[in-house]
Amino acid sequence: MRVTSFAFLRVVVLSLAVGCAGRAAAAQSVLSATLVPSQITVGQSAELTVKTLGAGLEAVVLPKVSGLELRIVEQTHHLETVHGVSLGTTTTRVQVTPLNAGVYAIPGLTPPAQPLVLRVSVDDAIGKAPPKTAAAAAKPRADAGEAIRLTADGSAFLRLSLPKREVYVGESVPVDIELGLRPGFVNSLNGLPTLTSADFTLNNLSRQPERSERVVDSVGFAVLTWHSVVAPVRPGTFTLSVEAPITIRQRLRPESEAKLEDQLGDPFLQNIYGKTVKKDIKVASPAAQLDVLALPSEGRPAAFSGAVGSFRISSDLVPDAAAAGDPLSLRMRVSGSGNFDRVDSPMLEHLDQWKTYPPKSTFIAGDPVGYQGEKNFEQSLIASRPGPQTLPSLSFSYFDPIARRYATVTSAPLHVTITPAPGDTSAPAPSVAVAGDAAAQSVADGLRPDHALPATAIRSLRPLYLQGPFLAVPAALVLGFAAAAWRQRRPADVAAGARRRRQRRLGATQRALAAGEAAARAGDPVAFCAAARQLIAARVANAGEGGAAAQELQELQLIADAQRYGDTPGTAVEWSRWVEVLRRAAIEPETA
Amino acid sequence: MMRASRLATLCLALWALAWHAPARADESTPPLSAASLYNAGNAYARAGHPGLAVLNYERARLLTPDDADLAANLATVRSSAHLSAPAPSGVAHLLLVASPDFFAWIGVLGVLFAGAGSVAVVARRWRRTAAAAIVVGGLGVAVCVANVILWWPTLHAAVIITPDAPVRVAPAPMGDSLFALHEADVVGIEAEHEGFFLVRTSSARTGWVAAANLARIVP
Repeated sequence: MRVTSFAFLRVVVLSLAVGCAGRAAAAQSVLSATLVPSQITVGQSAELTVKTLGAGLEAVVLPKVSGLELRIVEQTHHLETVHGVSLGTTTTRVQVTPLNAGVYAIPGLTPPAQPLVLRVSVDDAIGKAPPKTAAAAAKPRADAGEAIRLTADGSAFLRLSLPKREVYVGESVPVDIELGLRPGFVNSLNGLPTLTSADFTLNNLSRQPERSERVVDSVGFAVLTWHSVVAPVRPGTFTLSVEAPITIRQRLRPESEAKLEDQLGDPFLQNIYGKTVKKDIKVASPAAQLDVLALPSEGRPAAFSGAVGSFRISSDLVPDAAAAGDPLSLRMRVSGSGNFDRVDSPMLEHLDQWKTYPPKSTFIAGDPVGYQGEKNFEQSLIASRPGPQTLPSLSFSYFDPIARRYATVTSAPLHVTITPAPGDTSAPAPSVAVAGDAAAQSVADGLRPDHALPATAIRSLRPLYLQGPFLAVPAALVLGFAAAAWRQRRPADVAAGARRRRQRRLGATQRALAAGEAAARAGDPVAFCAAARQLIAARVANAGEGGAAAQELQELQLIADAQRYGDTPGTAVEWSRWVEVLRRAAIEPETA
Repeated sequence: MMRASRLATLCLALWALAWHAPARADESTPPLSAASLYNAGNAYARAGHPGLAVLNYERARLLTPDDADLAANLATVRSSAHLSAPAPSGVAHLLLVASPDFFAWIGVLGVLFAGAGSVAVVARRWRRTAAAAIVVGGLGVAVCVANVILWWPTLHAAVIITPDAPVRVAPAPMGDSLFALHEADVVGIEAEHEGFFLVRTSSARTGWVAAANLARIVP
């Protein structure tokens, strides 16, 4: 037991020694400290930025200055490479707020450093335009000093950074959406941040957020930052916030007991020590109030397309010389910042002696959200007449939200020289070779001489067989010969046709006679009746039958009807007579 | 048979009247001849305009395809423009010994012979002579049709007359450029739309070229 107590005492002493050494080392690892601005008025705050070596949360020991309130608002960690050596650094932003006017000296955070001086006055004229750092000027943030509101369990926060609180309808406002996730306490991010208000649109939200780390209330958070553009759709006063769906690990232990888990720092150990359950929640940012103003109707240019921002234009024409009939490209570049989706221009719609085409536009974004960039308009023009031409200046109208008025920017007129079209083949051919053109001269040397002009000439290069008047005569010849051949062929065709019809009728008669004889041999009155009717049909089809044949046919018709509708079958004598009648009806006319 | 002969004579007389009517009505068009087109091609070649030179040579070739000077100068200009000259096949060479107008006349005579022979055959008179006339007439018509087929691509072709004419994907000046055609290139015309021609190159590539960049061989 004694041994155990001694060992525990050694651990405590060693820990205190290491802790003191660490603090001393931390105090000596400050790389730089800046105070911006150095002159403020009462009620304003300055920002003290301290860059230290290492990633410890307590790397900065804030000095105590009477009359000044110093509060750490943010800590970010970076990994820098200096001369091939990777070093971890921590940047700590400290909000310095004076309580009274005066001159304050903040002692140097490193022994050899000079103290930082802050002048605080009651005259607000001094602090009207505080000097900004380059970063601050590039990215103004109206809510730079806003406190971060954590969720109830402290596992996450969401912050919407707005650069201004008064905007115009349609104006694009670049915003930053920061989602802080406490490692080990947030299981997953289930979607992208969305606006909670339908009075705004969230455009061009970056797909991949930037990742960084931040310390809030001495707790480290992994921060995801999206850049986007918010645009109001109607005037009025609205509150704006964003929300994001996440899944957290909710601790089952009371918060008082969970403080020990927080001190463990390592999320893995926290999860082992404290039991948690998964829960889907939506983390929302504090609501920010925005005044959305309508665009004024006074002074609105006719060509205003809804562009709000700050723009400038330039134009050019390529090529600067062309032949009549050749297309030229008139280009107008609109650059600046604002809602480029509303930047539009009809360019030159109607122009005398020019044929104009509708322009097409392309946008080249200057930042990830498309708030800054350049929109290029290109319009094709074709000059119809040669000679020097002047294209009128191009103009573009937009609303300047800073100046709170409409503005119209104009480009300079463009001059171009149009030469005669080379395709004008009606122009006389050059009579002499152009001197000085070596290639043309070498070709001219290899050419055979000109020919003497003939006395006769033609009027068209189109061959005769493609000319209508010429084709009309062969067509008429074909028709005439066809008509003559038809007239020559008619008597022979009539005789041949009669022969063919006679052969067909004779064949049908013989077939009917054979069928009737077969029916008589079999004693089948029905089949004999059908054969007789076929023979009658074949004979009647011929209009030139004589009277004797008609009598035979009439008798044959009576026999057929008697057989069909009579009850008594014929005797052998009757069958013989009927067959004889059938034969006479079939043969006698043909042999006559 | 006599009626057919009188009908043929009447048709020829009507043709003579109709054929000379357009020439009288179109006096504003400058008269053309193979020699004048050939000389114009020479002048453009000497001035360093191979496109216009080839255009005039091709037009002259329609009138005198067997002109040796014309073929030589056309080959010279094409080679100077780094363009290959298409070599005609054996059958095509036979059909290029005379102008298309000559073969048009051959076709008309073929129709006359074949028609008269057909009428005689139907009437069963001079059967051997009629059969020979049908054969000769059919050959004449066939030769004329073959000549039409041979010249058809040239009749629907154009010559690029500007350096590096852009070939666009659509018939509009803002259409994206697919490739560029060299001056003096000969392309086939497949369609026309608002100042642009859909062309097909010898390598079967297609695209739209502005009308200002080319000229049809047969306007």
